[in-house]
Amino acid sequence: MIPVSFDYQKVKTVDEAIAALSNDNSKILAGGHSLLPAMKLRLSQPSKLVDIAAIASLKGIKEEDGEIVIGAGATHADIAGDKLIKSKLPFFAEGASMIGDVQVRNHGTIGGSLAHADPAADWPALVLAADAAIEVQGSNGKRRIKATDFFTGLFSTSLQDNEIIVAIRIPVPAQGTKTSYQKFSQPASRFAIVGCAVMRFPDGKTNIAFTGVSDNAFRDSNAEAVVSGKVISNDSIAAAAKAAVQSVNILSDHYASEEYRKHLAKVYLKKALQAVA
Amino acid sequence: MIVEGQIHGGVAQGVGQALFEGAEYDENGQLTNASYMDYCMPRADDFPMFETGSQVTPCPHNPLGVKGAGEAGTIGSPPAVVNAVLDALWSGGHKVKDIRMPLTSERVWRAMQ
Ligand SMILES: Cc1cc2nc3c(=O)[nH]c(=O)nc-3n(C[C@H](O)[C@H](O)[C@H](O)COP(=O)(O)OP(=O)(O)OC[C@H]3O[C@@H](n4cnc5c(N)ncnc54)[C@H](O)[C@@H]3O)c2cc1C
Repeated sequence: MIPVSFDYQKVKTVDEAIAALSNDNSKILAGGHSLLPAMKLRLSQPSKLVDIAAIASLKGIKEEDGEIVIGAGATHADIAGDKLIKSKLPFFAEGASMIGDVQVRNHGTIGGSLAHADPAADWPALVLAADAAIEVQGSNGKRRIKATDFFTGLFSTSLQDNEIIVAIRIPVPAQGTKTSYQKFSQPASRFAIVGCAVMRFPDGKTNIAFTGVSDNAFRDSNAEAVVSGKVISNDSIAAAAKAAVQSVNILSDHYASEEYRKHLAKVYLKKALQAVA
Repeated sequence: MIVEGQIHGGVAQGVGQALFEGAEYDENGQLTNASYMDYCMPRADDFPMFETGSQVTPCPHNPLGVKGAGEAGTIGSPPAVVNAVLDALWSGGHKVKDIRMPLTSERVWRAMQ
């Protein structure tokens, strides 16, 4: 439970952070709620930590040019309590308030969670369902990665070495859009055994994303096709549940076998669809 | 006050045994829930307020008349919780006689299939 020794550098700007990361084995430290436990178990042994918690430009949540922009350094608690989020992306506030416990929510950040890409983390499902883009910055400047292109496997993303997530950008949903996040928590850590995020637009287009179910969070296009543009009824909800989680590898652990997890995914999709009906 | 606290703690520990706690090993004998991220302990927010009652009789076997109280809650709570779950299953039409502790959600689900 004692990490190997490492250097520590606290930076004030994103440019400083990118420069500091050019050292091979250095790693960004944000809230530390995923990285530090991994270092204590020596699963991760960076030679240097670049602490980005004091970078002011990574904080804050605002609306800008038709997008909701969440700084990568916003904590789960910041997002759960934010007025703009509560009114325009209520499932982000709900999801954030279900993460871990108070200490985790007060320190852990959305950027850290996305970069870590834990298969049971909540944010991946939420950003996928919200059609978000992940804005990243590296030595070659900024680029945007669509959430659907971001998660590439177990704890892996399309983030390049030395790239920092700076913001999460979500198109402001049209008036009348409904959202829901339904989560079955692992009783000890409260990570998602299954999390289902649904966003339904006024024209009936319906985005459905799952976390906890497979190696990485994903959009379920089979289930989306059943309800998109159609009335949500008991029949269409049942049909969507039947179509869901068909072509993915399903995780299994001592809290939920493959069979039980699949069952839970369908139940939590039903709950989410009922909530946006 | 001390005895009430012991009863609260004991009830919580027993409910933990009934619903959450168990050392889980894989087929190679590796403990799979070796940290509190995976091994579930009962926590304050898992419980309602407690109301306790006591039947006070002096113990005849020692000059002070005192007896132990700490384990009372722990002994009573697991069968109370397990029987409550079985009762709920029976009233829902599932004739289940026994479920192994801890009663995880998957074990209860399997018992209902
Ligand atoms: C007890 C406990 C319970 C938890 N429960 C939940 C839960 O229910 N749901 C859930 O989703 N999560 C849960 N978590 C995880 C928590 O949300 C973490 O805070 C989060 O996963 C990581 O964010 P962080 O800011 O702490 O990142 P850190 O731990 O500091 O970093 C994590 C990784 O991301 C990298 N990184 C950090 N910031 C950036 C950035 N801006 N750009 C690029 N890379 C970056 C780091 O280098 C590191 O590799 C739990 C954690 C604990 C300890």
